[in-house]
Amino acid sequence: MMLALSVGALVAGAAYLMLDRTFLRVIIGFVLFGHAVNLLLFSSGGILRRTEPLGSGPDPAVTADALPQAFVLTAIVIAFAITVYMLVLAVTGRPDEDAPTEEAEEGPTPDPAEPDAPSDTDDRSGADDRSGAAPRTTDQESRA
Amino acid sequence: MTLMMLLAASATLAALAPAVARPWGGRAGWFVAAGLAALTAVLVALRPTDGSLSESVAWIPAADISLRLQLDGLSFLFALVVLGVGALVMLYSAAYVKERAPGFYLLMAFFAFAMLALVLADDIVVMFVAWELTTLCSYLLILRSSPDAAAPAGRTLLVTAGGGLALLGAVTALVVRTGTTELTAVLNDPVWREEPLFAGIVAALVALAAMTKSAQFPFHAWLPDAMVAPAPVSAYLHAAAMVKAGIYLLMRFSEAASATWVWPTILVTVGLGTAIMGAVFALQRTDLKELFAYSTVSQLGLLVAVIGVGTPEALTAAALHVVAHALFKSSGFMYVGLVEKRAGTRDIRELHGLARAMPWTSAMAVLGVAGMAGLPPLLGFASKELILDAMAHSPAGTAVGLGIALAATAASVGTVAYSARVVVRTLPGRPMELKPARGTVSMAVAVGTTAVAGAVGGLLVGLLDPVVLPAAADATGTAVGELYPLSLWHGVNLALLLSAVAVGGGAIAVWQRARVDTALDRRLFPFTGVAAVARAQSATIAGGRRVGDLTRTDLPASHLAVPLVVIAGGGLLAAALTTGRWGLGGGVAVADVGLTVLVVVGVVAAVASRTRLGSVIAAGIVGFTVALWFYSLGAADVALTQLLVEILTVVVMVLVLRRLPATFRRRSAGGRLRGGIVAIGAGAVATVGTLALTGDRALSSAGEFFLRLAEEETGGTNVVNTILVDFRALDTLGELVVLGVAALAMTALLTARTPVGGTPDTAPPGPLSDPVLNTVFLRSLARPLVPLMLLGSLYALLRGHNAPGGGFIAALLGASALALLYLAAVSDRAAPLRLPYLPITGVGILVAVGSGVLGLADGSFLRPLHADLLGVHLTTALVFDLGVYLAVFGVILAAVNLLGMPSLDDPPRGGDRAGSPTAPRPTTAASASAPAENDRSATEEAPR
Repeated sequence: MMLALSVGALVAGAAYLMLDRTFLRVIIGFVLFGHAVNLLLFSSGGILRRTEPLGSGPDPAVTADALPQAFVLTAIVIAFAITVYMLVLAVTGRPDEDAPTEEAEEGPTPDPAEPDAPSDTDDRSGADDRSGAAPRTTDQESRA
Repeated sequence: MTLMMLLAASATLAALAPAVARPWGGRAGWFVAAGLAALTAVLVALRPTDGSLSESVAWIPAADISLRLQLDGLSFLFALVVLGVGALVMLYSAAYVKERAPGFYLLMAFFAFAMLALVLADDIVVMFVAWELTTLCSYLLILRSSPDAAAPAGRTLLVTAGGGLALLGAVTALVVRTGTTELTAVLNDPVWREEPLFAGIVAALVALAAMTKSAQFPFHAWLPDAMVAPAPVSAYLHAAAMVKAGIYLLMRFSEAASATWVWPTILVTVGLGTAIMGAVFALQRTDLKELFAYSTVSQLGLLVAVIGVGTPEALTAAALHVVAHALFKSSGFMYVGLVEKRAGTRDIRELHGLARAMPWTSAMAVLGVAGMAGLPPLLGFASKELILDAMAHSPAGTAVGLGIALAATAASVGTVAYSARVVVRTLPGRPMELKPARGTVSMAVAVGTTAVAGAVGGLLVGLLDPVVLPAAADATGTAVGELYPLSLWHGVNLALLLSAVAVGGGAIAVWQRARVDTALDRRLFPFTGVAAVARAQSATIAGGRRVGDLTRTDLPASHLAVPLVVIAGGGLLAAALTTGRWGLGGGVAVADVGLTVLVVVGVVAAVASRTRLGSVIAAGIVGFTVALWFYSLGAADVALTQLLVEILTVVVMVLVLRRLPATFRRRSAGGRLRGGIVAIGAGAVATVGTLALTGDRALSSAGEFFLRLAEEETGGTNVVNTILVDFRALDTLGELVVLGVAALAMTALLTARTPVGGTPDTAPPGPLSDPVLNTVFLRSLARPLVPLMLLGSLYALLRGHNAPGGGFIAALLGASALALLYLAAVSDRAAPLRLPYLPITGVGILVAVGSGVLGLADGSFLRPLHADLLGVHLTTALVFDLGVYLAVFGVILAAVNLLGMPSLDDPPRGGDRAGSPTAPRPTTAASASAPAENDRSATEEAPR
């Protein structure tokens, strides 16, 4: 019962975050979703038997199912590799989509493509341009 | 020498050709020609005097597919044409090809190999593979001929590969229905006679495949389209290789498929229609090469029609015409290439006086063209006589036979007329200015050889008996003795009369050529074949785009909505179906409640956080709680893994965070509402689904198997680890590959794309801004901890088989040690972590594969070997686990190295600022920006 509730909470949070435009939130949503699936895998092996599957001659009546555990163990590592890969995606390509305009104004981060840092008046419009182009960047990244 | 060796030698020739062509250039043609000539000699020597030669090597025993080869009369005929004409074309190429010779000779020699495999194959799957290889060879040869060749090459591929699909359909149906892949057995199966519907469909598919390959209407467009290819390619394609593959297929299936009425109907109507159409089109053309191309279409139509007639006489005629056509068509194309090379044009309106300008070559050309026109006493005449005779005696009855023969005669009138055009329009008149003949001798020799062979073959046609008659006998299932021997003169009969009509009609057309030209100088059809193919192609692509438009959107949410809704629907449905069996029993443990509360708190924090750092911390809370969940469920290994992964995730996320803005942009109220509704719905469904689907089930039989037998089978008492490295090691190996690919992809991404942001130095001046002082605690801790952790990681690896530990956990532990080292370093640059992460990952995968190969000693890939040494139980599973260790370790190293080290984009900006005297910079800036230039080179080297 409690495990199912945990899975539910994780899935709810994951769904909410994955529907966001910000890539980092999508990634965190993915991580939460991974947790949910891992717990679900555990629950598929039965959660009443909770003794470690270790040592000689484990008693099947009380020992946990080792197969889901093996699945989850590798799943965690794979999910980690994919998370890291997505994090790399998040910081490559064009500047992150939702750079708040205030920050761009006070401490401009010039595009590597633009060698000349814009003047103060231009800066505002430059920042707007970036945020205008933002959704496209997100989509490219999430599609990749 | 065996057939298998012959085929292998042919493949070797293809492999050697580019190596020879690299230093020799075009002259490597001599080498390839000599090779093909030698293979021809071997082929002749191998040919048994009667019967056939068969060999077989198992290829895919599980599917009963073998590399079965058979050399019977039919194979011999086509193999002779493929190798013999191939040798002559290569001789010609030696003078013709000037640039990019290695690729050319590789593909041409491979083409010969593919054709040889096709005609020798006695396994229907092998035959299909060879068939597709010829398609690919011709595509590549056309593609590489010029920069404009992409479109025609693409159309060629589409049409011929489409035919390949038809053949695949026929092959699959036949293999399933007859239960064997052996071609001889398939063709002799009673199913051809007993099931007319099945036989009809398969025969139609085979005919369709052959029609695309042999350029029959309505698939004829690709052949003239492919004229962009250079002369030797065209000569080979038209005379011996590509189009003859279709003819071979038809002759091979002739006996079996003739049982159904579909076969002769399709072949005769399509063949005759194509023959007449091709002849008319050829008459229209002024480009000599196009003229010859349409001539091929027309001649192949004639061949297809006569194969459709199906009698032994008809197949004899077809076999002889295959030889005749190979000779006069290769001669024709090579002649055109020679003319183009020396005169600079191949348009008959611009060519004149070639008779006096190049008398010797012109004489050979006349000989070849006369053969094409079917004039006595050339080979073309003999074969056309046989064709007309066989058609007139069609089994369908006298009237039908006469009709077929008359239609063929009509096509022949056109043949004579367009053949005459080649001669009459280009040879007489004032001699042209030609480029010197130097260097073209071997080209002239090749043209002459084929033309003279056509003449000699006509006069002494009886010499061809041992080649042609067994081919016809094998194609029709009769004995060689029952066939009429070949002869040039059959007395005055209907066929001779029809031949005379054809020649006479052609002569009249030549005489009245001004009128004929005027009559034909218009578009005969509202659209061309090429345009039709092009339109079909673009319509297909447009259709695909329209289908894609249905789901094309830039919003990730829309893409995610579908799977989310589907999963939710599935969960609800399953829950509804299993209402009675929800696993609510077992009570509620207090610890579980606490864990759930923690999870909920973490999730809510992750969702609500408006800063990136905050959401990462919240995700960390969730991760650690989940690790506790695993532990409470009796999975120490998994909990340990989760714990370590969580630490490393946070480390990597922090590395990324400094490149991103600190806060999120807030979603609109509507967006939050929609997201909230979806989220709550998804969460509810997940809860219900988990309860309904899993509940408190009993131990599965697989789970019980592992618990009971793990120690007995593997000697390990950590059941989870034995599953990972022993029972299901192949799965684990696959996962290692995924890890390796992830490391590669990260490297590629960061090499190819510019990372965003820099390493913003936002730390205000203050007590914490000096990195040396700031890290003093961590550094002091790291000094004793890192070696301990590395030792611990080694220990965890070694004991993994029997106690919590193993490759995954050990690697994560080791990587955590390195992460600690990294975090404790004064600056990014100072972190002593520049390790070759990609090689480490690669070695890990190799070690795992290597331990798997060791298992072959015990009969199976990845089966661990066991040994007891000095009372210690050793197993190769430990070696496998070492591979796991290295692969996992490498991936994490990759992440820290790629994301954590100062990277390509960092620095110009930092350097500028440090140089500006007005900007008050904390000490960190100086230390971070000054070495920036060095870092650039360092990171560039890192991915290697």
